[in-house]
Amino acid sequence: MTLRIGSAQGFYGDDVARALPMIESGAVDVICFEALSELTLAILQKDKLANPSRGYTFDMNIIARQILPAAYAKKIPLITNGGGLNPLAAADMVRETAAKLGLGGLKIAAVTGDDVLDRLSELQAQGEALSNMDAGEPLAHAANQNFVTANAYLGAAPIVEALQNGADIVITGRVADPCLYLAPIIACHSWAWDDWDKLASGIIAGHLLECTGQVVGGNSLAMLHTLDPRDLPHLGYPIAEVEADGSFVIAKTPNTAGCISIETVKEQLLYEVHDPANYITPDVVADFTTVRLAPDGENRVRVTGVTGKPHPETLKVNLGRLEGFMRELIFTIGYPEAWRKVEWLKAMMDEAWRGLPIQRVEYTYLGMNSLFGSLAPLPPDPLEVVVRVMFTAADQDTLKIAVRRVMANGLSCPPGMSVSGTTVGGEPRYIIGLWAALISRDKIYPETKYFTVD
Amino acid sequence: MSRTLYDLAYGRAGDKGNIANLSVIARSPDAYQELKTHLTVERVKAYLGDLAPGRVVRYELDNIEALNFVLYDALDGGATRSLRIDSLGKSLAGALLSMVWE
Repeated sequence: MTLRIGSAQGFYGDDVARALPMIESGAVDVICFEALSELTLAILQKDKLANPSRGYTFDMNIIARQILPAAYAKKIPLITNGGGLNPLAAADMVRETAAKLGLGGLKIAAVTGDDVLDRLSELQAQGEALSNMDAGEPLAHAANQNFVTANAYLGAAPIVEALQNGADIVITGRVADPCLYLAPIIACHSWAWDDWDKLASGIIAGHLLECTGQVVGGNSLAMLHTLDPRDLPHLGYPIAEVEADGSFVIAKTPNTAGCISIETVKEQLLYEVHDPANYITPDVVADFTTVRLAPDGENRVRVTGVTGKPHPETLKVNLGRLEGFMRELIFTIGYPEAWRKVEWLKAMMDEAWRGLPIQRVEYTYLGMNSLFGSLAPLPPDPLEVVVRVMFTAADQDTLKIAVRRVMANGLSCPPGMSVSGTTVGGEPRYIIGLWAALISRDKIYPETKYFTVD
Repeated sequence: MSRTLYDLAYGRAGDKGNIANLSVIARSPDAYQELKTHLTVERVKAYLGDLAPGRVVRYELDNIEALNFVLYDALDGGATRSLRIDSLGKSLAGALLSMVWE
């Protein structure tokens, strides 16, 4: 038999309603929603600090109200990591919503155990140095210990178990993105946990699915002259049809916009990949260099030949740390002598900020060098320059004072200069630093709680 | 008009922490052989300049006729710290494709 997995979310804020045409067309057996980028948990932590019953994605409410009734009617399980920092609260919300909608008997599974923020001291005492993967520095040596999130990347196992126990919706926190998609394949095809080639095939299916629109024409340079741009807001999200032997076809929701081709699959295959022969996940190390792609009819690409190797004995943990605040201002400067006025602006701000603990100041010129830096030569005597200045401080008040002092120069500024009103009305933004580390598998204990709707 | 790498290839940039990866996917088997021979790490690093301040590693994927360049320390600390307007480095694959190709 073939398992058909739909992917209806690739980030927090994606249009999860794309799940509906998947369900209505009868094209899927299970749907996954991947909501957590590296930054998302830090955003959710702000919600949770303000309200302890929050900390999950707002998309969960849409899934519960709009998707779950249709999916439950057809017994299509839903799997999501949108539980974020609070899968139990998300499960509670889903249960209440499902009860109101009359979805009696619906079974909810909530997976926890990825969140180790409260265990950092205990883990270090047990010999887990949690050293920074880039710099090698042990966590204990970090001068700034203002960690706001710490989550291990779980594998597919708890989700597989929840599906086998009959869950209609599985809500998790941090699970490695492709493992969210691997889970229903393992549950369906009963693959062994050391059948590395098959597991790797499932990971690559997940990797191709996990960014929704990006494999059906979104963010696709290859499709720039092929796709109708008016289709972009309506792309049919992808579906993988996975065989028991691990081979699969990447397809698209039937009768929807977008396109799947060898080109779109190649683009997504290498997205956010480093060493393609060693794509590390909690369940398997996948090798992308043996993959074979072949057309399989319109908007269908067949993927075969995937190989895999045993998973590492460690799991990745990502810690988020509050490192200060940043603020943006944008100024417009025109002819004549635009560059001289830019130098005046810089000197004026430097003087206005004297004595303020501003940490970094970065100037770029929009439309000139803000994307490609030194690759883009600056024109000698431009008609217009849009100056973007970003500056940081340890606290928000410093940035607010800095903006006030610059604005006080409104009538005492370089000639003809203006400031973008939307940036004046802006607010300081958090700077969250990521600290990636490794941890022994046996220190992480996933736990699953079940709730049934009356 | 002179030819650029974009005439031979397309690609996409991805981010993970402070590391960017740029795929360079050949438009034809001949183009792939040409890229494999001539689009070296040294050449990429020299061309990107400030955009590739750290180590650059090249991976070859003969099976899909693509190269994958991994740029360490290339995202101003990573999307969550970066002060750049394109904090995710989404435009960086295009930066490489702008290389003039003789």
